[in-house]
Amino acid sequence: MTECPECAAAVANHDLILGEVFPCPDCGTELEVLATEPFAVQPAPAEAEDWGE
Amino acid sequence: MSNGFRLGLFYTIVRPEEKALLAAAEARGVAVDRLPDDELTYPLDPPAGLPDLVLNRSVSHTRATYAGRCYEHYGVRTVNAPDVVELAGDKIRASFRLRERGVPTPRTVVALSPEAALRAVEEIGYPAVLKPATGSWGRLMAKVDSAREAEQVIEHKTALGSPVHSVFYVQEFVPKPDRDLRAFVVGREVVAAMYRASADWRTNAARGATTEPAPLTSELVELALRAADAMGGGVLAVDLMESPAGLVVHEVNPTPEFKALAAATGTDVAGRIVDYAISEGRR
Repeated sequence: MTECPECAAAVANHDLILGEVFPCPDCGTELEVLATEPFAVQPAPAEAEDWGE
Repeated sequence: MSNGFRLGLFYTIVRPEEKALLAAAEARGVAVDRLPDDELTYPLDPPAGLPDLVLNRSVSHTRATYAGRCYEHYGVRTVNAPDVVELAGDKIRASFRLRERGVPTPRTVVALSPEAALRAVEEIGYPAVLKPATGSWGRLMAKVDSAREAEQVIEHKTALGSPVHSVFYVQEFVPKPDRDLRAFVVGREVVAAMYRASADWRTNAARGATTEPAPLTSELVELALRAADAMGGGVLAVDLMESPAGLVVHEVNPTPEFKALAAATGTDVAGRIVDYAISEGRR
């Protein structure tokens, strides 16, 4: 369990892997898994202009 | 099973696609080196411990392009190859290549200044679509129905400041059903295809389009393979529209997403990509 850096909601690790991006269940901010043990997250990188498929 | 084969996964963020690729590699007993695109450095001489092949999954066209060249310099094959990433990732170059290869594609005019852009729109006629030369997900695309709208869009793009926004890619608006097609090519095979339907004129899955499987007709398969081949081949998502004159290819994506396609068709796209990468790495 860790805390969303944006809204401070409790965020649990449900089968997330290192680097995975997922939305905060409370505020919806995209978060990136920094570490799984102990569980740590940070805001996911913002979409840049040259991003795409 | 893998005989020590090591796959590099070059990525920006771990999305469902990258997670599926990691799982597919693990299921095949393939060791994966994670290569985050914002952490690595590239000396002139090859560093120790390079993987056998790198799957280039960076969503940044800039990073994908330079990383591809770095690994090429080190003698490590990448999927897709750097030439493919650079060509398909640049709509202008890609359109020219499609035309050179006789692949049906919408009428397109390129302009290199705001003044020329307005003339390009007039040459195309209305409605016209303005797209950035790089990028996807429908971002910064505009459909203009009149000269007044075109002037406003061109003015806004120019005001963004970067010289790349004064490069204009203007395309005819293809009258089509409220859907387009995506055919997913892995090597010499179309592994699956889907319709993407939306009330919005942009039918990107990233913009919430609904998806359903599309039949692999001979016309679709033949055209998708020709388009992929025109880009140099590899793992490519070919986007097509159903124009009144038949299918036209409007985009070939070199770092394709496939979550929606896998869900719509039940195809193990990640597994097919990893199998292809292994076979390419052993060539």
